[in-house]
Amino acid sequence: MKHVKTLNNKTLKETMKKGGCGECQTSCQSACKTSCTVGNQSCENK
Amino acid sequence: MIYQYKNNGYNIVLDVNSGSVHVVDDVVYDVIPLFEEKSKEEIYDGLKDRYKEEEIKEAIEEVEELKKEEMLFTEDVYKDYVLDFKKRKTVVKALCLHIAHDCNLACKYCFAEEGEYHGRRALMSFEVGKKALDFLIENSGNRRNLEVDFFGGEPLMNWEVVKQLVEYGRSKEKEYNKNFRFTLTTNGVLLNDEIMEFLNKEMSNVVLSLDGRKEVNDLMRPFRNGKGSYDLIVPKFQEFAKKRGQKDYYIRGTFTRNNLDFSKDVMEFADLGFKRMSIEPVVASEEESYAIQKEDIPRICEEYDKLAKEYIKRRKEGRGFEFFHFMIDLEQGPCVAKRLSGCGSGTEYLAVTPWGDLYPCHQFVGEEKFLLGNVEEGITNTDMRDEFKLCNVYAKEKCKDCFARFYCSGGCAANSYKFHHSITDAYDIGCELERKRVECAIMIKAALAEE
Repeated sequence: MKHVKTLNNKTLKETMKKGGCGECQTSCQSACKTSCTVGNQSCENK
Repeated sequence: MIYQYKNNGYNIVLDVNSGSVHVVDDVVYDVIPLFEEKSKEEIYDGLKDRYKEEEIKEAIEEVEELKKEEMLFTEDVYKDYVLDFKKRKTVVKALCLHIAHDCNLACKYCFAEEGEYHGRRALMSFEVGKKALDFLIENSGNRRNLEVDFFGGEPLMNWEVVKQLVEYGRSKEKEYNKNFRFTLTTNGVLLNDEIMEFLNKEMSNVVLSLDGRKEVNDLMRPFRNGKGSYDLIVPKFQEFAKKRGQKDYYIRGTFTRNNLDFSKDVMEFADLGFKRMSIEPVVASEEESYAIQKEDIPRICEEYDKLAKEYIKRRKEGRGFEFFHFMIDLEQGPCVAKRLSGCGSGTEYLAVTPWGDLYPCHQFVGEEKFLLGNVEEGITNTDMRDEFKLCNVYAKEKCKDCFARFYCSGGCAANSYKFHHSITDAYDIGCELERKRVECAIMIKAALAEE
């Protein structure tokens, strides 16, 4: 595309297919302990 | 839902429901808000003074294509999905063990009241800790990775029990097919070679508390005699980070109204040689002199912009660092179930007091209303647990129109309770700052994608 650069290909909807295994890290255990930041966790079920 | 913004010279468009992130030029940026509302002719008419007809045509075509590919203007199809997801039996996968309700520092903003959590000083016994780990194994279903954070107060004040519990957990892994991921949060005062060696062998992450510049740190993180902690702690943390190979740790600070120029504190971390860091806005009642006030938000947002620019600059110069809130994994990030269901407090994640009482998370400890049960009997206050189970993005009115809802997952229940006496509300200042951090994190992706 000439006017648009898309930074990611995978969409959230696709993750409905095999998501929800729950093996990923609990967000508050990582560093914050006060704010909920989930977007930066990694999926363990790639 | 579309959210678009300009930052650091980038035009960024988020298609919230698909999670797609686009960097666009000016003409597409101006076409998008009109696209669903106006006819093509109206779009041409509206923009013809600013762009050539050919450019507008191309922009419309590209927007149409992205829409067809479900990367723009996608519908929210997750509401029923998350309700189904929430109907499932929940398992416990993470515990925050309050191994010591005592502390050797007297940080002025401590939500745990210098480690004592509105109660008395206490250390967790090995027996209670063991029961907590047994409880976790028993209630974790098929979940293999189990997280245990040694937290306080200051966990190193009960170091022998930490070691014993790690050993105990490891001894159960094979039998139950579990993998313990131990973590520890410390102020560093008691760190020594033996402790560092053990932590480096056993802890999948350590969180090292430090606020930044000496004067900033020492103002809020003094010893009980009033003396600052910086000089004692910094060399220990530097050695520790080096011994860990600069991996799997965070230097984690808190900023307050006293240091709204906190990007300088992050730079202090970087200049001290740390590679992984985080700094969090203090959460405090508004009458506290150090509490963040609503009118501070624009200043703080500017500071995040400054930090983001410096982050990019240093990265490009080959001396980059990781900043917790700028880490966004656009490709391999969490699934939508995780993004919608929140932090898991009260269901997947529980805090355990030195006496073995269970609370929804470390921030609720000492609030009797939220007592969920104990490690002997398990969860007995199931009504409260179920309230937390239903606490997701769709249960929160304020999240409905927020572009960041799939990044923050509805925010912190404890903060919401603190400010609004409800776990399904949201702490507004926290939301503003979270949105800003997400904006910066995505802008950084755009800037680094140019390389």
